[in-house]
Amino acid sequence: MSEKNLHIKENKIDSSVSLGGLNLKNPVMTASGTFGYGLEFTPFMDLASLGAIIVKGLSLKPRCGNPAPRIAETPCGMLNAIGLQNIGVDAFISDKLPLLADIDTHVIANIFGETVEQYCEVARRLEDCETVKAVEINISCPNVKRGGIVFGVDPVEAAKVVSTVKKSVKRLHVMTKLSPNVTDIKVMVRAVEEAGTDSISLINTLSGMAVDVEKRSPRLGTVTGGLSGPAIRPVALKMLWEAAGVAAVPLIGVGGITTTRDALEFIIAGAAAVQVGTASFMDPSASQSVAHGIDDYLKRHSMTLSELRGSLSTP
Amino acid sequence: MKAFSRATVLYNRESECGARRLGLKLKADGLRPGHFFMLRSPNTIDPLLSRPLGLYRVLDAAGEVLPVKRQSPFSGEGIEFLYNVVGRGTTLLSEKQPGDELQLLGPLGNGFPLPQDLGTDKAIMVGGGMGIVPFYLMAALLKDGLFLFGARGAADAALAEDFSGLPCRVEVSTEDGSVGAKGLVTALLARELTPDSLVYACGPPAMLKAVAAMAASAGARSYVSLEKTMACGIGVCLGCAVKIKAEHAGARGQLKMVCSEGPVFDSVTIDWDDIC
Ligand SMILES: Cc1cc2nc3c(=O)[nH]c(=O)nc-3n(C[C@H](O)[C@H](O)[C@H](O)COP(=O)(O)OP(=O)(O)OC[C@H]3O[C@@H](n4cnc5c(N)ncnc54)[C@H](O)[C@@H]3O)c2cc1C
Ligand SMILES: Cc1cc2nc3c(=O)[nH]c(=O)nc-3n(C[C@H](O)[C@H](O)[C@H](O)COP(=O)(O)O)c2cc1C
Ligand code: FES
Repeated sequence: MSEKNLHIKENKIDSSVSLGGLNLKNPVMTASGTFGYGLEFTPFMDLASLGAIIVKGLSLKPRCGNPAPRIAETPCGMLNAIGLQNIGVDAFISDKLPLLADIDTHVIANIFGETVEQYCEVARRLEDCETVKAVEINISCPNVKRGGIVFGVDPVEAAKVVSTVKKSVKRLHVMTKLSPNVTDIKVMVRAVEEAGTDSISLINTLSGMAVDVEKRSPRLGTVTGGLSGPAIRPVALKMLWEAAGVAAVPLIGVGGITTTRDALEFIIAGAAAVQVGTASFMDPSASQSVAHGIDDYLKRHSMTLSELRGSLSTP
Repeated sequence: MKAFSRATVLYNRESECGARRLGLKLKADGLRPGHFFMLRSPNTIDPLLSRPLGLYRVLDAAGEVLPVKRQSPFSGEGIEFLYNVVGRGTTLLSEKQPGDELQLLGPLGNGFPLPQDLGTDKAIMVGGGMGIVPFYLMAALLKDGLFLFGARGAADAALAEDFSGLPCRVEVSTEDGSVGAKGLVTALLARELTPDSLVYACGPPAMLKAVAAMAASAGARSYVSLEKTMACGIGVCLGCAVKIKAEHAGARGQLKMVCSEGPVFDSVTIDWDDIC
């Protein structure tokens, strides 16, 4: 009997994954902004069943976000215009982080800023917090010094954020989260990789809009917003696959992942790990189900996660 | 206990007034007036999101409405919702047959503060339309309850008959005057309001705003149940923010989440200009 089969016979599926130094017990994380600060989900699931939780995006100062309505449902998806509302990095460290110290999974902090310096300062403050194992840089934020153009659509500005954050931390793993609202995702992948990111997650929400035809008004207070949910999955998957063709660092697939099958699509296309986002709104235990489901799949196919990753056979 | 579960439809029928009664088999406890649940159809991703509906009544194992005791929290073997069909989600809900399953998250929200905890067993409840929902259970908790129900017409007003077995006086107003007083429910409130009244209100935003203003100028306490579009129902998507007046804002600033910090708020804390 081969070693691999022995392994499976013992019923111990090894679904752990190493993202360039960051070791996760399994490849399933929760997407930022869809899982609060984690503890909100303890009545519904076991946080220890996840590879990591990624908390709501943090900025240097608290932000109150956008006017209502902030949510509009669209076919198989939703638009949001929350406006990056958050309690700020200091309140996160003092009020939320102590509560997360004992959970048996990694905590990743999603960070953003309006200037390169703000990104770095948020990262620096998290560097001393043992509980936080990585930062995920959300580059889908307007750059005030460039007239509000989003960092994530400009390879030069995006690289600047990543390289300076990377230089300002030692211990923290740096994951960079790409915006899909670009012409060629490969350009962004190369830019942030050269800037030194340890891993790349993609995608953030796609920009979108919806109109109330009776009122002839936009269905979001800010007119446009970010589309998420199953509706964006094929777009996210294609971008992940394209990124996998050029990236050397591990990739984390995000976008519409609702079931185990969805997650497997991304892993087969080249993702080292995945994030479950909007699905947690429909079923608060969705991420746990996906994690269990991946184990079952590996067992059923007698495969390891690394064998599965990128195993797509194209014509 | 807050839980995510599947529940079987016991009944889902149109009432005399057009609103639908949905009975679900679900073992539930810790239920309070003003609690709500997020409901969705399993096995579909379109519509994607759950819809919030307020808890109306509590059922026994046979699906009969439980006679309510003056004791909170409530528990039962089933729960009843009362809802209007207004769009896609509620249309889909209206098509559910007995035996079908729904996904359910709840009970959610803070619920109304209990009169006993506020040192009284007397209160005025003001409900507009589907705003009747939290007051069936609330009326059961009061010794001296008054329910003022604002309905559109005679058909809607018939819902007030649900309250006939409760120790509670009911007064109805209709916009067309077909039943009860003609006009808005706030006119009924004006007749009853005194500085020591405790007012609970649920209904359209304009009604709530008016009730809040009337209670404030009479020097009475009032609590309102607010509605916002919701995605998660548990305070994580930040979609259902409501603006709090600066002087009542806590360390976390001027926004509160209707789903997790509400839906019931002390009306003096709300920035009503931001609502309507
Ligand atoms: C805490 C809470 C408790 C609620 N309890 C009840 C209840 O007990 N019974 C009940 O009938 N309804 C209740 N509602 C309102 C109910 O959630 C909405 O009517 C429902 O979500 C509409 O879904 P839909 O898909 O049918 O409509 P959509 O397709 O989403 O919308 C159709 C139309 O209805 C309007 N609409 C959508 N949401 C609301 C809303 N929240 N209030 C008023 N109009 C809306 C939209 O503007 C649109 O014009 C409650 C809402 C909240 C937030
Ligand atoms: C309500 C909401 C809030 C979000 N907030 C953030 C955020 O703070 N930072 C971030 O990087 N992404 C945020 N996102 C994007 C998600 O993390 C994810 O990239 C996106 O929703 C696509 O995945 P999904 O379709 O699985 O939800 C948010 C998404 C939603 C729906
Ligand atoms: S509905 Fe998500 S925070 Fe209230």
